[in-house]
Amino acid sequence: MFSLYKKEVQSYFYSPFAYVVSALFLFVFSLSFINSISSMSSNVLKFSFSNIFYNSFFYFIFLIPLLTMRTFAEERKSHTETLWLSAPITIPQVVIAKFLAVATVFLLMMVLSLFFPLVAWWHGSVVLSSLICGYLGFFLWSLVCIAIGVMISALTDNPIIAAVLGEAAMILVLFLDNFTNTDLIQSVKPVAKVFEWFSTEKRFGAFSQGLFSLADLIFFLSITVVVLIWTIIIIEKRRQSRG
Amino acid sequence: MVEIKNLTKYYGVHPAVQDISFTVGDHEVLGFLGPNGAGKSTTMNMITGCLPSTSGTVLVDGYDIAKDPMEVKRRIGYLPELPPVYPDMRVRDYLTFAAGLKGVPRAERKSQVNTAMERLRITDVQKRIIGNLSKGYRQRVGFAMALLGKPKFLILDEPTVGLDPTQVAEVRKLIRELSADHTIIFSTHILAEVTAVCERVVIINKGQIRAVDTITNLENSLTTEKILRLKIEGEITKITNIINSTKGVQEITSVEYESSGVNIFTVKVDADDVRKPLMAALLAGDCMVLEVTAVKSSLEDVFVKLTGSPTRKQSREDAFQELGREMDAAREADERKNKNGKEDA
Repeated sequence: MFSLYKKEVQSYFYSPFAYVVSALFLFVFSLSFINSISSMSSNVLKFSFSNIFYNSFFYFIFLIPLLTMRTFAEERKSHTETLWLSAPITIPQVVIAKFLAVATVFLLMMVLSLFFPLVAWWHGSVVLSSLICGYLGFFLWSLVCIAIGVMISALTDNPIIAAVLGEAAMILVLFLDNFTNTDLIQSVKPVAKVFEWFSTEKRFGAFSQGLFSLADLIFFLSITVVVLIWTIIIIEKRRQSRG
Repeated sequence: MVEIKNLTKYYGVHPAVQDISFTVGDHEVLGFLGPNGAGKSTTMNMITGCLPSTSGTVLVDGYDIAKDPMEVKRRIGYLPELPPVYPDMRVRDYLTFAAGLKGVPRAERKSQVNTAMERLRITDVQKRIIGNLSKGYRQRVGFAMALLGKPKFLILDEPTVGLDPTQVAEVRKLIRELSADHTIIFSTHILAEVTAVCERVVIINKGQIRAVDTITNLENSLTTEKILRLKIEGEITKITNIINSTKGVQEITSVEYESSGVNIFTVKVDADDVRKPLMAALLAGDCMVLEVTAVKSSLEDVFVKLTGSPTRKQSREDAFQELGREMDAAREADERKNKNGKEDA
């Protein structure tokens, strides 16, 4: 399983792919960084990253399908899945290895973005609790998105379609929050409660304010696990009918 | 030992493989023969555990693929029809990764990869990116992958497809070499390959087994009557009379003109020993027998007989289709020419 994980991580760096996506990631991050610095009106305010995370996540979320689109779709397309189907390794192991590999690449990109807090810390002071929780919430939310992306990649044999469907799923995730706040949903309290429970943005908001809540942590992790289990079921089901 | 019992696979309502049973003994080379779309790959995918069967069992060394997939997969090296190689990896990296995936202990990986590369003679391309290699080399990389983990059984799905004649010969030689310490099942739709490499054949068509036997048995069993070809100098009517009056001769199936006064007679006889009285009679009748050949039915005939030869109607339709395709191509070429002509003008 570790071999597969290692190979998956490496595969992002064989081509310029990972570098380009990382560059895009940092570019987006730097833009919102500049934006929030420029909009600071008072010198008294301590600089916090919560807003940057909050704003930039709406861009980042769309980078994740680019990372996950190839995971299973590419294997189906190039007929390489027989390699791990005929090897002494189970499908859950394959799914976990691939998921962890994408998560690792994403983590590397996040480590690169530490550059901005460092710069800020050099010239001023950083609210550490808000920064750590911000990063943690950011990572947890992206885990959910990565799991969704991996699942969508297992549904098709075309990476481009996987990416497009992935983007659609990401839009849906973001849309859910706005939808929850509409008058229509809020007028029916029980429904609103269910929608609120599933809305990721509010939970992420708490993290980015520097508030760590165990319930939110479990929420993100459990959604990730559920989506990964679906992925395993999808692959197992497809295996029944492959030629 | 691989035991396959009543293996069946349905894709929806369409049966791909129906009720297949056969066994492969240790250190045997078994040819899996069938026309395209006969269910060869489906069967191999089921043996290797890539594809679950609808019903039936596959036992590898006593382990059931459905219950103990890990034990089975550890014993099998599988080379699918399209070698499962990652085009953006380097040969050595890929093989090391595959060795890890197959559970080869870390300490042994390097030496196993080296042995496999030497065996397939790809050591000199180990640093190259697989995507830039030719089809033959890619096939060899896939083959090397199948050898990793020292599997007892090798399952090769059409290992020679798309290779040039020298490479085909090399692969056949390799299969013969490997048969010393592996049990090999390999599929093909090329007959010469089976005769060159295997001891035993399984012939499959439309998802059903048509024959499981050794090559010699198959060749013998399917021809009850013998056919003799005789090149004789002399008058046709006289020779025909002599042949027809000899005991044991069934009929003369054809007479072909060879050169003036010499004709080739194809004669159906009961047994081989009719040759002697036939010769004696012909010599007594002053006919010069220039050549006698016993026509043996080859594996090719057996194969056609078992898998169903195309009917006259089918071949006529094929011919029409071929003609239609040619005409389409000609029309396209004309159109292109016209277009180019216009552009030039």
